Amino acid sequence: MAKQYDVLFRLLLIGDSGVGKTCLLCRFTDNEFHPSHISTIGVDFKMKTIDVDGIKVRIQIWDTAGQERYQTITKQYYRRAQGIFLVYDITSERSYQHIMKWASDVDEYAPDGVQKILIGNKADEEHKRQVGKHQGMKLAEEYGMDFYETSACTNYNIKESFTRLTELVLMAHRKELDGLRLASNDELNLAELEEDGRKADGTANSKSCWC
Amino acid sequence: MRVYNRRNLTRPPGCQRIGGSSGREVPNYRAASSLYMVHSNHHLKRDASVLRKPLQKLQSHPFRPIIPLVARISDQNASGAPSMTLREKTRLEKFRQLLSCPNTDLDELRKCSWPGIPRDVRPITWRLLSGYLPANKDRRQMTLQRKRAEYFGFIEQYYDSRNEEHHQDTYRQIHIDIPRTNPLIPLFQQPLVQEIFERILFIWAIRHPASGYVQGINDLVTPFFVVFLTEHVEDDVENFDVSTLSPETLKNIEADSFWSMSKLLDGIQDNYTFAQPGIQKNVKALEELVGRIDGQVHSHLQKYEVEYLQFAFRWMNNLLMRELPLRCTIRLWDTYQAEPEGFSHFHLYVCAAFLIKWRKEILDEVDFQGLLMLLQNLPTIHWGNEEIGLLLAEAYRLKYMFADAPNHYRR
Repeated sequence: MAKQYDVLFRLLLIGDSGVGKTCLLCRFTDNEFHPSHISTIGVDFKMKTIDVDGIKVRIQIWDTAGQERYQTITKQYYRRAQGIFLVYDITSERSYQHIMKWASDVDEYAPDGVQKILIGNKADEEHKRQVGKHQGMKLAEEYGMDFYETSACTNYNIKESFTRLTELVLMAHRKELDGLRLASNDELNLAELEEDGRKADGTANSKSCWC
Repeated sequence: MRVYNRRNLTRPPGCQRIGGSSGREVPNYRAASSLYMVHSNHHLKRDASVLRKPLQKLQSHPFRPIIPLVARISDQNASGAPSMTLREKTRLEKFRQLLSCPNTDLDELRKCSWPGIPRDVRPITWRLLSGYLPANKDRRQMTLQRKRAEYFGFIEQYYDSRNEEHHQDTYRQIHIDIPRTNPLIPLFQQPLVQEIFERILFIWAIRHPASGYVQGINDLVTPFFVVFLTEHVEDDVENFDVSTLSPETLKNIEADSFWSMSKLLDGIQDNYTFAQPGIQKNVKALEELVGRIDGQVHSHLQKYEVEYLQFAFRWMNNLLMRELPLRCTIRLWDTYQAEPEGFSHFHLYVCAAFLIKWRKEILDEVDFQGLLMLLQNLPTIHWGNEEIGLLLAEAYRLKYMFADAPNHYRR
């Protein structure tokens, strides 16, 4: 049986309620868009397998509820993520301001080497724009993140941003991947490697993984 | 299949076997379940050939009828459905008799309601069972008038404060969630209905600052709203244009929904306070319970590192409303209101029965992704009263066997 994937890892979507996290995900995994998507409760799960440089990457994507009350639950998912999308809505200044809070949560709860991308969603709603593109770029630069404006509605930059974060995670795990190319019959489960490492050295993060 | 083995069954009060089918195999929904991986619960692709294809190939099929979620909220005695059987007529008669007594015997009313309330008497029965209306018949009209006036007093007093600084977050969240409440049912997209929901939720939220408004509470208004609306609508509730009702009638529905929802939430408020302790506690209890009643399913989930919180959080937070069509929730709530501590306690057993209901499908999945996709998108779209009846009977059995025997079956 042909193996289904080479590498498996976890991505996480966070950001204020209503910025379009679920819509980004549905567009990416199912190429669908519903303008009024039912609100996410707790954490939802989807997956997709994509090809990056000849490597079959299966990504598990965790879609979180944005409301503050859920954060006790959603924070539990941070530590297992290898990549995180921080999402704001370009028509909501407030959601942009809150990126600061989301970023500090990531610092606190996610593993040190986690890869991050900043997303300004709803780019199609130009007439309602409250956050300039340069503001997004500036913030991303401050945090050392890549930045994309996206639109789940018009399917703008969706595949690009998901692929980019996937690449970043792959690059961060180059060492393991080189090993993979040598023994090409094995599947590499980054999530598990990492957890094994954690168990072995007994610390919250296994830094040896990150190059 | 220990759980489906119904010998020694303790029958819930008044619960009848349905069409002699209670021992049948659970239909295999696996093929249909893949649909749910791709779509949110409200869509269904019917093309049989599509059903069999793997997930990846399902993505762009144009034919997607929307299955009515509310139109069949009725019992079998809805207009358009086959006429009532003798048994149903007798039941309805029994309800009418109880309800018209000078003092309704609430214990008896609960007993009758447990196996489902006939549509015609459901609104008044819900008002009584929720504790909103008194058992004394003569006092009911007065109570209604007083409570309705009280609710609109709140509106007058507080609703303008929704734009003030300290309530802005609450109002904003409610405002975002209203269009996302049952987004595929036209009834809930009408401005008049959305305004009603906004008022109900805002007033409730600011009167309950310990929890405030939490996403999911919006869902909990809908069964009440729909049931009280059916008093004025013959059929096809989901497409009903509420602007054809008098403003007075709409106001009454709004106030009654508010109070009934408040009564329900009084019993489960710790689901929504900081860190949601009620939910955390219930998810743990579910895990523990399933470990005792079906070790095979439990260890299968453990083996693939599926955590109960990953699927059951929503089951608790939204009382299974996201997992079931609205008509099923309404039927479920007949029993929850008839059962002591139905929403706060019996729900746990319903969740356990619900999980075990899918044991075959669960055991067929042999990786984490497959399990989670299944558990977050269980194929219940065609469920009706019969499935809910069986689920409740099983939950009752579990409660009877395990609630007062914490060590029973403990390994």
